[in-house]
Amino acid sequence: MEANKPKLIVDGKRLDGRDFDELRPIKIEAGVLKNADGSAYLEWGKNKVFAAVYGPREALPKHTADPERAVIKCRYAMAPFSSLEEHGRSGPNRRAIEISKVTKEVFENVIMGENFPGTEISIFIEVVQSDGGTRAAGITAAAVALATSGIPMRDLPFAVSAGKIGDHVVIDLNKIEDNYSDADVPIAISPRTGEILLLQMDGSLTREEFKEAVAKVKKAGQVISKIQREALKAPYEKISNKYK
Amino acid sequence: MEIVVPGEMILDKPIHMENTFIENEKTYAAVLGVFDREKKTLIPLEGLWYPKHGELVVGIITEERPNSYVVDLNAPYKGILIAKYVRDRLSVGDIIEATVKELDETKTVVLMREKKLYGGKIIDVKPSKVPRIIGRNNTMIKQLVEGTKSTIVVGMNGRIWIKGGDIALTTEAILRIQDEAHTSGLTDRIREMLEKSKTTKSE
Repeated sequence: MEANKPKLIVDGKRLDGRDFDELRPIKIEAGVLKNADGSAYLEWGKNKVFAAVYGPREALPKHTADPERAVIKCRYAMAPFSSLEEHGRSGPNRRAIEISKVTKEVFENVIMGENFPGTEISIFIEVVQSDGGTRAAGITAAAVALATSGIPMRDLPFAVSAGKIGDHVVIDLNKIEDNYSDADVPIAISPRTGEILLLQMDGSLTREEFKEAVAKVKKAGQVISKIQREALKAPYEKISNKYK
Repeated sequence: MEIVVPGEMILDKPIHMENTFIENEKTYAAVLGVFDREKKTLIPLEGLWYPKHGELVVGIITEERPNSYVVDLNAPYKGILIAKYVRDRLSVGDIIEATVKELDETKTVVLMREKKLYGGKIIDVKPSKVPRIIGRNNTMIKQLVEGTKSTIVVGMNGRIWIKGGDIALTTEAILRIQDEAHTSGLTDRIREMLEKSKTTKSE
């Protein structure tokens, strides 16, 4: 495997021509699905992700309800045609269940669920096309979808992955970098407080590299947060600007 | 008037408002909404309807039970009318207006003072836009009724019943209010729209 490892950095640039801390282009559209209470569509490089939110609604089955707060449920799924590799088969697999769980925990920290005891809030993340970093893309899209549903939240979290290629700490790994890098660290952050809501790691980093990775994620997050906020405001501002 | 998103700091001092939260002596928005800095209010742009006692709703009977009627309210909650207190005999498909008595522990909206609505047309709007359709001191809805000669019943659940008059114009105006609810000067624009259609018709 090591022998087949492609060269991920050529002339100080990554394979797709990006700098070490450059994000892929991100585009978010809010409120794209009429049937859902909240929704968003996100394109992040070659990733294409839909997020839909339903609720607060009656928690079913009933034993899952919490009399003190809304329960958050999350389902992350990749479409069978989303990836070139076999892990994109349909239905919940080990990986999808894990991502659903960590995503749920991100949003349990920001949704003000105490306002809706006994109900559930369901978040659906559907990856239509994948190119690495889909859990980060899913969380970023779901945050926008939640905001369009009107559910009160303490913050609009974002997520992005950091990684290590050779001696360099890089940001936002794509599929091929993810497969052959020395470390892949998806991080979700609440930008208002800087709290880390999700932190996973494949591979290994030194203490210094880890600190650098978190700092780079926070810096990239300012860009992602801005795109999220603009996606939410854009449809309304378009109309208000017409009458200025 | 500015549009704010969840987690955005709106005031650097703690002031209790609906749809906000306070942390470290600062006030933050909790929803996507329009913040009015002078009046100190944050009005949500999106959101479901949460029933409150005394609110008027428009519903459709979906089921007859031995002692009650089940009412669809275009909401996450089912409505229920206790048959004992119902004056007319209702059947499935009937449209009613009613008042919310309470949201009971099973998350059912108990309704009272129902009134059957005959004929007419129903449109569904976002519940968060209903206050704008009614307007401050009912200005908007009065203007609509005058301009279109329709009979309009606005349910707080986001369901509106219209009968008579210029139904097409009423519908158009209501949908426009829904789309432009967050802009200022809307009442004047709707008045213009109604007057314009009046003049084109009389020509």
